[in-house]
Amino acid sequence: MSLKELSSLEKALGLKKPNKYSTQGDRKVPVLQTINGQALVGLVTIATHLVQEAKRPELLGGSAEHKAVVQQWLEYRVTKVDGCHKEDIKTILKDLNSYLEDKVYLAGNQFTLADTLMYYGIHHVIVDLAVQEKEKYMNMTRWFDHVQHYPSVRHHLPPVVVLRNRVYTSGHH
Amino acid sequence: MARDSLPYVWVESDSAKWVAHCHRGACNVKHASVTQGKVEFICHKTENGATSTQVFLKGTLFFPCEPDRGLVRVHELTPEKAGQLIWVRARIHTSRAKGKQCFLVLRQQQFNVQALVAVGERASKQMVKFAANINKESIVDVEAVVKKVEQTIESCSQQDVELHIERIFVVSQAEPRLPLQLEDCVRPEGEGDEVRMRARALGPRTTTSQAIFRLQSGVCQLFRDTLTNKGFVEIQTPKIISAASEGGANVFTVSYFKTSAYLAQSPQLYKQMCICADFDKVFCVGPVFRAEDSNTHRHLTEFVGLDIELAFNYHYHEVIESITDTMVQIFKGLRDKFQTEIQTVGKQYPSEPFKFLEPTLRLEYSEGVAMLREAGVEMGDEEDLSTPNEKLLGRLVKEKYDTDFYVLDKYPLAVRPFYTMPDPNDKKYSNSYDMFMRGEEILSGAQRIHDAQLLTERAMHHNIDLEKIKSYIDSFRYGAPPHGGGGIGLERVCMLYLGLHNVRQTSMFPRDPKRLTP
Repeated sequence: MSLKELSSLEKALGLKKPNKYSTQGDRKVPVLQTINGQALVGLVTIATHLVQEAKRPELLGGSAEHKAVVQQWLEYRVTKVDGCHKEDIKTILKDLNSYLEDKVYLAGNQFTLADTLMYYGIHHVIVDLAVQEKEKYMNMTRWFDHVQHYPSVRHHLPPVVVLRNRVYTSGHH
Repeated sequence: MARDSLPYVWVESDSAKWVAHCHRGACNVKHASVTQGKVEFICHKTENGATSTQVFLKGTLFFPCEPDRGLVRVHELTPEKAGQLIWVRARIHTSRAKGKQCFLVLRQQQFNVQALVAVGERASKQMVKFAANINKESIVDVEAVVKKVEQTIESCSQQDVELHIERIFVVSQAEPRLPLQLEDCVRPEGEGDEVRMRARALGPRTTTSQAIFRLQSGVCQLFRDTLTNKGFVEIQTPKIISAASEGGANVFTVSYFKTSAYLAQSPQLYKQMCICADFDKVFCVGPVFRAEDSNTHRHLTEFVGLDIELAFNYHYHEVIESITDTMVQIFKGLRDKFQTEIQTVGKQYPSEPFKFLEPTLRLEYSEGVAMLREAGVEMGDEEDLSTPNEKLLGRLVKEKYDTDFYVLDKYPLAVRPFYTMPDPNDKKYSNSYDMFMRGEEILSGAQRIHDAQLLTERAMHHNIDLEKIKSYIDSFRYGAPPHGGGGIGLERVCMLYLGLHNVRQTSMFPRDPKRLTP
């Protein structure tokens, strides 16, 4: 899964030459051998490297605080979202929903790597949500719809339909 | 001896003398004895110079009852009657004693009123105690003065008046321990649903239940009246039948002398036979038995079916129009004449008012599928609608057209029963339709095949044993007009109209796989 993400990320960043990745361990952590012989291990590490390679440092944040928030969400993605149990999904969606109540992007006021990787990370959950659940997590769904329409982000993943109007008025079972 | 709680009479002891009080005034009690829990009194009464003696047991009428009381209905107790001395018969809903006063709430069906017994000119301390000790739910006769109140009594239906009681009698006493507390019945949702179901002599006393079943009675009434005005004839169909009408899986079998018979799953066959017998437009109201082991919020094993069947002239849409117009007349009738009931139910079970369009919204099945696909649902063109998809479609339709009632026309032929007439223009579809209220199906109907030959073909296509339906097919061999119809469930329609969530709430004595009594 991570490998597909990384190749989509490459395309999104406009990197012409696709890298070859390998994996290690049971959890299939991605590994990238760089030209200088270094081995980069881990989704976030590799993704960060790719962003720098593509000379798009703004995707990692502007100010120090901004960069920290981006890192925080990248960490959240890898530690909380990946491999989480079914029961935890609701908590994650609730967290995201309340966080995104007054924010357009996960970090600051611009699109960052945090948005991309979080989108890749929760897509498999959102694609199965019923209309009613999507409306319950209104803010998260709004953010998700925004990201999936962002130019060149959504490569390997099918689009999730998000209705324009609320179909379930509040208080409906 | 302590004051005894006797209906009609209560006694006070004043050292040696017993005085019995009743609505005729005090009289002298000569002798009182307690034998095996029965208390007997011998009373002397002097009236017009003559003395009469009467022996009476606890609970008997003291004198022959004269209709000297005109009973006023609780819902008629309004400020216009302020100052009047009136009689009321009602149940004790609650009572609360406080020192020299006792506050009662008297209840009559959906209405209740506050009443007060206070120590004073007309009431003694013992009388106040007597009133406070009357068991809840007992039926009482009360003579009282209607008083206007300054502060609205929010908890009662009669909010602007209060009764000041001068006399109170117990007509029928309730046992002190009730199987359930009626206040619990009026709490929204869940708790106590089971107990409520079992104590059916008590549960429906709540204001909400009264309102629900009065409204249900209205639905039946409106159904009959609307159809009769349209020239329909009411028919009665048999419920004990020899062959299962719609597939053998969901029928109840009964022993019928030396053989077996079945309880009718629907009046389908007989409605159609009446059409073939030139009754043109018929309807019937009667029980329907479905032996489905479904324990859902909307299935009963026995329910009341309101069925319609009519012959049409040129197009089966005439049938749809007739049915939808009947439904609309029912909705309008409920909206105009049963507002009190709707509001009462809404207090315990709040919901959005029921909305409908005139003329009724009719969508084609393919349009419905397109709407669902737009919302991200994947389904085939000829696939039947699952219950979640039906509900989602209901929400989408509500959002787009603002109606809780609509018709889905031209269902795929593959998912309908064998007697459904196929669409002459497109053999994938059929001349059949479903109707929905609040996203749940209430009616499944169609144009029926009236040609014996075509019917035989369709039956064979569905692998149905022709022998079993021979008499059904035969009915169409002697000139049958083109016809169609459909049926609704009374309980489900009421449940959905009121926005309730369990069909057992709209069934007085519900029957489901786990419930056979009361």
